[in-house]
Amino acid sequence: MAAAEQQPAAAEGCKPLGALLNGIAQAAYYGKADITEELLRGQLYPEAAPEEFRALRAKMGGLLQSIASADMDFNQLEAFLTAQTKKQGGITSDQAAVIAKFWKNHRAKIHESLVNQSCWDNVLKNMNWRVDLKSQSRHIDQINTPVAIVEMELGRNGQESEFLCLEFDEAKVSQMLKKLSEIEESMTALTQTT
Amino acid sequence: AADKINVIPQDFFAELCEQIIQHLNHKIPGVDTVELCQRLQTSGIEVNVDDLAKITNIISFLFSTAARNNLSTEDLVTALGNAVSTLPKHAVQVIRHVWNEQGKSVSMSDDPASMATVGQFVDIKWKLGVAMSSDTCRSLKYPYVTVTLKVADPSGQITNKSFEMTIPQFKNFFRQFKEMAAVLETV
Repeated sequence: MAAAEQQPAAAEGCKPLGALLNGIAQAAYYGKADITEELLRGQLYPEAAPEEFRALRAKMGGLLQSIASADMDFNQLEAFLTAQTKKQGGITSDQAAVIAKFWKNHRAKIHESLVNQSCWDNVLKNMNWRVDLKSQSRHIDQINTPVAIVEMELGRNGQESEFLCLEFDEAKVSQMLKKLSEIEESMTALTQTT
Repeated sequence: AADKINVIPQDFFAELCEQIIQHLNHKIPGVDTVELCQRLQTSGIEVNVDDLAKITNIISFLFSTAARNNLSTEDLVTALGNAVSTLPKHAVQVIRHVWNEQGKSVSMSDDPASMATVGQFVDIKWKLGVAMSSDTCRSLKYPYVTVTLKVADPSGQITNKSFEMTIPQFKNFFRQFKEMAAVLETV
């Protein structure tokens, strides 16, 4: 029997718990800063006293943070949650089940959010291209050659973009493809060894 | 900027003028001011990329104007002397020499519509890394590739643009270029 302290009715506490975890994730990982503690308490645990709710939120937030930081797989999660149910002031097995289900559904998305949060350099936000037939040029020999015009939107997350517009003839595209193949080879080698 | 020319040693200045005229002759896509600046700084010369870019623009304008007006070497030197009296002697010598050797082959198109409005892709460098952990996540473990594109802008200045891609983003990038190649082939 888990040594859990007084908290809002355990059995029906499971439904709001799932929603609470969602609310915590929205604020911590999905950037919804307007999901406040007050809002969550009012919506999910209206009968709970503020300090009681704060403690619950802090505990659940802490657990979720540990799980997300370690990007736990099924085995790690099971071991972790089982340990938590055996702790003084830990969680009930019902709560453990809710947390496990939540993590299963949100793991990929939360991890992606954490990955994005640690990307501080320029990223390629968007890319468009078209192929033109060059009809005018400084060079006579470039008339009627097809060229690709590529527009790349570059910028840091959450900051203004820079638009880069580049011309590629067939040779340049080949050059690019050769280098990209090299990258792909390296990536394959990397994912095979990890 | 003209006084900055004073600090550039003759051989570097000659190299710069060579690149400029080769760019005007469409032999190279642009002038690699960043690379030149790095080498100058390594030699202990105090100059930054902006200074070098300004000088490049001035010389480029000089040569292209001379080409448009079919100036002989002597005319060019005379015009230069009238316009810029503070040019060091070695700089004038270099300009005279470069123009003498290659000035005739610079042809300026009269049609402004044929001026490029897009940049030219020159080269791509890349590196593959794996982000292991961060302050917000101890187990990140995501591979990403950083690429640096060397591009020549319409005026001929070569700059580097770099950005990161995750594996899915890279795969999409690669796929787009394959599609481009396919279309270019069929046109």
